Amino acid sequence: MSHARALSATFAAFAIAAAAALLPVRAQAGRSCEQARPTPALVARGMELAERTSQALDASGARVVILARAGQDLGKYGLRYSHLGLAYKTDAGPWRVVHKLNQCGTAVADIYRQGLGEFFLDDLWRYEAAWVVPAPAVQAQLMAELSGPPGRLVRLHAAPYSIVSYAWGQKYQQSNQWAIETLAAAMEPATIGNRAQAQAWLQFKGYEPTTLRLGPLTRLGGRVGSANVAFDDHPNDKRFSDRIETVTVDSVFAWLPRAGLGAAPVTLKLQ
Amino acid sequence: MKKSIAAVLLAACTAFSGVAAPLQAQAQSDASVALSMMPIASVVVGASAVGASATAAVAVPAALSTAGSTLTVVAVEASADGTVYVLERASDGARASVKVAGRAARGVSNAVGTSVVVGVIGSGVVLSAAGEVLAFVPNALGRALLHNERLS
Repeated sequence: MSHARALSATFAAFAIAAAAALLPVRAQAGRSCEQARPTPALVARGMELAERTSQALDASGARVVILARAGQDLGKYGLRYSHLGLAYKTDAGPWRVVHKLNQCGTAVADIYRQGLGEFFLDDLWRYEAAWVVPAPAVQAQLMAELSGPPGRLVRLHAAPYSIVSYAWGQKYQQSNQWAIETLAAAMEPATIGNRAQAQAWLQFKGYEPTTLRLGPLTRLGGRVGSANVAFDDHPNDKRFSDRIETVTVDSVFAWLPRAGLGAAPVTLKLQ
Repeated sequence: MKKSIAAVLLAACTAFSGVAAPLQAQAQSDASVALSMMPIASVVVGASAVGASATAAVAVPAALSTAGSTLTVVAVEASADGTVYVLERASDGARASVKVAGRAARGVSNAVGTSVVVGVIGSGVVLSAAGEVLAFVPNALGRALLHNERLS
């Protein structure tokens, strides 16, 4: 099982603000929703990463990949990437990414189909893409899901959102969690119809979430400081021993090859 | 005499209409600051509304595709679905209009007289004012990399 000693830098920032002084932490909560204008350099870099990723994915011969980006620095917590989506090559040629996005400043999220441009047109921490090429049989199952009716594709989507949602719970669902639960449903479309069944399949296949070591002050700060952070879905015995088990890109990328579902991760970095 | 390219409009691609909510979204552990305000535009010929499918075949006008060109905002027109900036090239007076959709235009310096710099990248043209992006006009490659659709 992979371990991270603490939560993300963003989260930790308002955790500290909240815990240290119990100040009005709402001001901290708005941090990720600032309406900053993009700079020309950000657009140029994001689109370049999208373009090069598209070329590399074409060259790989894959039709479906599990694609990740690095939205913020989680390195000191043992995590390299922050977010993943299910990417596939359309018949028309362009790659599309289906992923779950949290509405800024709220506790809900939705599923989107976007281009590689949108996926990387973000204020990325590192201009680096990473992906796992699933085994051919897995790609075929995922392609059927991704190119099928949207209503079916989102059947395991749950709107209530927490960035640290419990990996084996159903109260909230974060982005990476939706992706692997949807992978499970794609693999067993006849038998997996709800999140509990998808999670049972993931456990059967040996998926292990990351355990974040979060103390009570950090949890308090995160919960008070942001609408999209909650801990009440975690079992008490784990929560009160500071063990927050959630789905991370890094844990998924370690699991896929281990379970024989995909190859080792590939990375593409802009200089 | 001014070269008139007023017939050429850069308008918000229909495919990106209604993007205000999606572009406010952020991914888990991510802060999608830039994307929330990304003013994606595409080229439309003629003053009438032209659908996204028609925009795909239209090239970016020359005045807006020369890297390093400096344009000046000579008029700003707000509408229900966006903001139109009329731009004039300093060197020869050539004009073009840029339409930035909906909320993406908010916060942009919109004063007449503002200088706009043209940047050219592999996937399109970046128009910026005072170091901030006014509009990104994707070319064919850029359009293939851009798509936004809410499924749930």
